[in-house]
Amino acid sequence: MSSQKMHRRDFLAVTAAAAAGGLLSPMMVSEAMAAPKGQKPAEGMYFRLVTHGADDPFWAVVKQGMMDAAELYGCKAEIDLPGSDLALQQKKFQEAVASKPDGIALVINDDQAWDKPVEDALAAGIPVIGINNDDKEGAAGNKRLCYIGQNERRAGYVIGRTLFEAGKAKGIDLSKAHVAMCGEVPTAMYAQVRFAGVKDAADEFGITSIELFDGGGIEMTTVEQRMTAYLLAHPETTFLLGAGGIGTDRLTSVLKNAGKAPGEILAGGFDTTPGTVEGLKSDYVLATIDQQQYLQGYFAVVVLYLYNKFRLTPNIDTGGYLVTKENIEFIEPLSGKYR
Amino acid sequence: MQRRLGQGLWLSFISTPLVFIITFLIFWAFSPGHRFVDPRNLAAIAKLTPDLGVVALGIGVLMICGEFDLSIASVLPLCSFLFAQLLIAGVDPFAALALMIPVGASLGLINGVLVTRTGLPSFIITLSMLLFWRGVLYVVSGLMPISILPYVPTDSDFTHFLTGLVGPVPVQLLWFLGIAVVLGIVLHLGRFGNWIYATGSNPDAARAMGIDTRLVKMVCYMIVGALCAFAGIMQATRLGSFTASQGIGFELKAVAAVVVGGVSLRGGVGNMLGIALGVFIIQIIDNGLILLQVPVFGVNTFIGLAVILFVIINNLANRQFAEQTA
Repeated sequence: MSSQKMHRRDFLAVTAAAAAGGLLSPMMVSEAMAAPKGQKPAEGMYFRLVTHGADDPFWAVVKQGMMDAAELYGCKAEIDLPGSDLALQQKKFQEAVASKPDGIALVINDDQAWDKPVEDALAAGIPVIGINNDDKEGAAGNKRLCYIGQNERRAGYVIGRTLFEAGKAKGIDLSKAHVAMCGEVPTAMYAQVRFAGVKDAADEFGITSIELFDGGGIEMTTVEQRMTAYLLAHPETTFLLGAGGIGTDRLTSVLKNAGKAPGEILAGGFDTTPGTVEGLKSDYVLATIDQQQYLQGYFAVVVLYLYNKFRLTPNIDTGGYLVTKENIEFIEPLSGKYR
Repeated sequence: MQRRLGQGLWLSFISTPLVFIITFLIFWAFSPGHRFVDPRNLAAIAKLTPDLGVVALGIGVLMICGEFDLSIASVLPLCSFLFAQLLIAGVDPFAALALMIPVGASLGLINGVLVTRTGLPSFIITLSMLLFWRGVLYVVSGLMPISILPYVPTDSDFTHFLTGLVGPVPVQLLWFLGIAVVLGIVLHLGRFGNWIYATGSNPDAARAMGIDTRLVKMVCYMIVGALCAFAGIMQATRLGSFTASQGIGFELKAVAAVVVGGVSLRGGVGNMLGIALGVFIIQIIDNGLILLQVPVFGVNTFIGLAVILFVIINNLANRQFAEQTA
C-alpha cells in the first residue's frame, strides 16, 4: 500500500470488490488506489439492471443494494421494474442496449427468450451478467458472463426440508400430508423452480400431495383472499408456503382468517417483509428463506465494475439464509431495507 | 325522483340483487361441505372485500357521471405512504386519517380539473395520472415497505376503529355499508344525485338545464380521491404496513365490479345497491370457485366470462325498460 492515505470509501470499495469473488489481489488494490484522490473507482460508468420485478418490497431491497454500490463506486445505475411483463422487460433490455451502458445485469426469467438478446448485446460489446434468475442450464443455456443470485431450486428444497422435518418431529403422517404453495405470479420462473425444490424435498419425505396455486397477483389483499379461500377449500393442507415475499407476508393473516392456531399448519416461505417478521415472532410462520437480495443489487454493480476493470466474471450465490424465530431479532431491524 | 328511479333503475334494481342471490345460493349449495357459508369464509369475505369495495363505490358514482378514474391504483398507495410518513412524524393516527382524507380529495380534484379543462377522455387523463403518481410513489418511497405497527399496534384504538370487530362483524364491512348508504342517499335522494345522472346521461341537456357539469364531475373525482385515501389507510392498518403494491389492479377490478353491478360504461345508468352488490358478486365468484376446487389457475377465466354475462343481462334489462317506457 502506498503512503497515500486510504479513504474509507476506497477501502469499502476494495473490500466489497474482494468479497464479490474472493478476489482480493495486490493488482486490484493497487488499481483501485490508482484512482486520483477524491475520485471514486467507477466514476463515469453507467450500469443498468433489467429485471422482471415490480414495485414490491423484494425489489425495493435489490434497488437499495444497487444504489448503495453506485454511491460507493461513484457510478450511475438504474433499475427497470416491468412488473413480470416479459415483453416489456425485453423492450427495456433493448432500450438499455441502445443507451450503450458499461454493463447490464439481467434477470434471465425465460430459458429461450433471452438467448439471442444477450448474444447480440455481447456482440455489440456490452457486458451482460445474470442476476436473481438464471437459465435452467446456467452458462450452457445462456451466454451471460456470470450469475449473481440464489440457487432457487436449492432454496425451495431448504425451506421444504425445514418444514417437513418439523412436521415429522411433530409426529405428522407425512404420507397423508398436503403441501400447498401460493405463487403470486405462478407462471414466473422463480415460483416454478422454487416449487420444484420444495417438491424435491417432498419426494424425499414421502409426500405425494403437493400443489402450486395462483395467488392472483402482487396486490396484498387479493393474495390474502385467494390463500384464505384455498385453505378453507383444502382442509387437508398440512404445509402452507408462499413462493414469494407477498404470499409469505400474508401467511399469518391467512392462517388467522382460517381459524388456525400458531403451528397448527406449518408455514414458511421466502423473504423477510414486515408481515413475515411478525409471523415468525408469533409462531405462525416457522421459517423463511432470505435470499439476501440486497447483495444481488449490490454485487451487480460491483461485478460489472470489476468486469470493466479486470474482465472478472465471478458467480455468486447470495441465497439460502434460513430465518427462524431464533435469529429474527437480528434480521428485524434490517427488514424492508437491507433484508 | 321518478327520473332517477328511471334510466333502467327499475329492472337493474332487481337484476343485480337477483344475480347476487343466485350466485350466493349456487356456491352455498355446491361448495363441498357448504364451506362457502362457513363463518370463517364469510368473515374473510366481509373483512377483505371492502379494500376494493370502498373505492369501487366512488368509481360507481363517477361512472354514472360518465367518467372513469384509473389513477386509483396509484392514489391509494400514495395516500397510504403519506399516512405512514405522518405517523413517523409523530402525528396521532386519527389526526393523520383526518388530514389524509382531504389530501386524497385534492388528488381527485387534480384529475377532475384535468378532465374537465382539457376535454380529453378521462380514460387517457387518469391513465396518465396512474403512471405519474406511481412514478412519484417509486421515487418518494424507494419501493420500501414501512411497518406502521410501532405507531398503530394491533390492539390500538385506531386499529379497532378501522379494522376491528363489532361482535362477529368486521368493522371494514360496516364502513363499506355506511359509505354505501351515504353515497346512496346523495345519489338517489338529493339534488346533487339528479345532477350526476343528468351529467352522465346527456351533458349537453344538463348544461342547458343550468347544471354546472364540470363542477359535478370534479366533486365526483374528489369523492373517489377521498375514498382512495380512506381505503388505503384502512388496508395499511390491517396489513400493519405500507407496501407499494397496495391497490395494484384495483383500477380494472373496480370497473368490473361496478359494471357487474349494473352501471353503464356510457354513464347515466346505475344505482348504489347494484354497485355495492357488484363488488360482492365479483368477490364471491372468485372465492366460491376456489371453494368448489375449480383449478385455481382457471378462476380468472370464469370471472372474465361472468363479467361478460352480467353485462349482457344488465344491458337486456336496461333495453327492455327503455322500450317499455318509450
